[in-house]
Amino acid sequence: MEITHRTSNQIDILELDGRFDAYEVPTVVKWFDDNANAKDVIVNLSGVGFIDSSGLSTLVKGLKHCRQNKGELYLSNLQQATLIIFELTRLDKAFKIFETESDAIAAFATDQ
Amino acid sequence: MRIALVSTYPPGRGSLNEYAFHFVNHLRQKPEVSEVIILADKLPDNAPYPADDETAGLAPLRIRPCWRFGAWDNAWKIRNAVNTVKPDVVLHNLQFATFADQRIQGALGLLTPWFVKSTGVLSAVLLHNIMETVDLGKAGFGGNPIVERITRLAGNLFTRMLLKADLVATTIPKYVDILTEKYNVEHVVLAPHGAFEDIPEPDFELPNGPMQIMTFGKFGTYKKVEALIQAFEILQKTIDKPLELVIAGTDSPNTKGYLEGVQQQYAHVSNMRFTGYVAEEDVPKIFNDAAVVVFPYNSTTGSSGVLHQAGSYGKAVVLPILGDFAELITDEGYTGEFFEPENPQSMADAIARFINDPTYRQQVGSQNYVATSGLPMSEVVDWYLLHFERLLNNQVVSLTPKQEVS
Repeated sequence: MEITHRTSNQIDILELDGRFDAYEVPTVVKWFDDNANAKDVIVNLSGVGFIDSSGLSTLVKGLKHCRQNKGELYLSNLQQATLIIFELTRLDKAFKIFETESDAIAAFATDQ
Repeated sequence: MRIALVSTYPPGRGSLNEYAFHFVNHLRQKPEVSEVIILADKLPDNAPYPADDETAGLAPLRIRPCWRFGAWDNAWKIRNAVNTVKPDVVLHNLQFATFADQRIQGALGLLTPWFVKSTGVLSAVLLHNIMETVDLGKAGFGGNPIVERITRLAGNLFTRMLLKADLVATTIPKYVDILTEKYNVEHVVLAPHGAFEDIPEPDFELPNGPMQIMTFGKFGTYKKVEALIQAFEILQKTIDKPLELVIAGTDSPNTKGYLEGVQQQYAHVSNMRFTGYVAEEDVPKIFNDAAVVVFPYNSTTGSSGVLHQAGSYGKAVVLPILGDFAELITDEGYTGEFFEPENPQSMADAIARFINDPTYRQQVGSQNYVATSGLPMSEVVDWYLLHFERLLNNQVVSLTPKQEVS
């Protein structure tokens, strides 16, 4: 899985591309480990066609990481197959999910 | 967050006690948890539970026995205990026979989440099996078709009662689909079973001595060992290696005396060992010593904690061709050899494929270890806490207008 990082308005944006499963999880875990002060993060999942429980769990840990830093983790651009997994686990209620990355950026501006 | 867990708990020996033990261990390590109170069943002869544990760095643990297996009034007793303890959340660690092995008492116990909700405390359920997938006859709740049908209807009714809880979690995706569609609800969630321990990579080598074929659980209803013993007899005749059959565990609460009867019936079989109850500290050795873990089930009532344990120890597993297990294999990355339920020859053939091929046995054990270690229970606990936080926040939001009115 490829991970691309950029920033916008002091928000860290991670764009993931590929399967997000147990074998790919360490890439994302490492990003959060290397960026211990990350506070407001958007994970753009437009390139993720498959996510398993390990991937979900990594996002949960990422959310906790951000909240510990008094921030939030938003998700954007979920493909239908990924969204179904979020609905099955009802984690779609725990995360704020946006159709587009710009919607998520705007939400950070509104929520702060 | 103060969390109460309605569950059996060691040294109690009721079903799901080990799951509760591991769940609580991880729960206590979470910074957002300030206290864990276990509303446990009373032990035989009113034996005591361990004293309150206030180890530094962990949320305090208090065990409050307040219900009794088989009693009629467990739901009421637990409701009263919740009123006394006043936690923020009550999580019920349940399967259909948690509260009793008699139908009526067992069913009345399943009213507990609803009763708890009536106190105003957030009520959540982890449901390890659902009535829709239980073979009632084989699970010891049948007898004749009319009784089975009545039991099924009662099961539907009490499932509706369980669904009165604020959150219902199951460990299998199919269960979420069934409950969501049949009962038209939206608060059923998938929460993976999780690995009991953060166990380092196991040593796939076996100890010296006979190769151990092991089965682990509570036997007598849908877990029966007769076919396994017969398979073992076949293996002893066909495989030129020393073998030992280890039957680890106790009778199911529904079938007291089952294992003793089996032991007498098959007294002529050599190299067979019945361990009786396996204490928590002895579980690692039982699994580590086993070459193969066999699941001699003729039906399933849910996800198998034993399968996850076997995976934790990197074990090759031999499984029946039954829907739930097949789904677990594919959904969670497990693999194994399969047999036709209650067919000794088929079971012996499946076991033999591992006994005769150590490399294959290690490959399968390694894959099962990866599958199990994919999601440690500590992370599953995070999922629950995330749901609890969300629901508690919703409660605060929904209470706000009332407060303004008053």
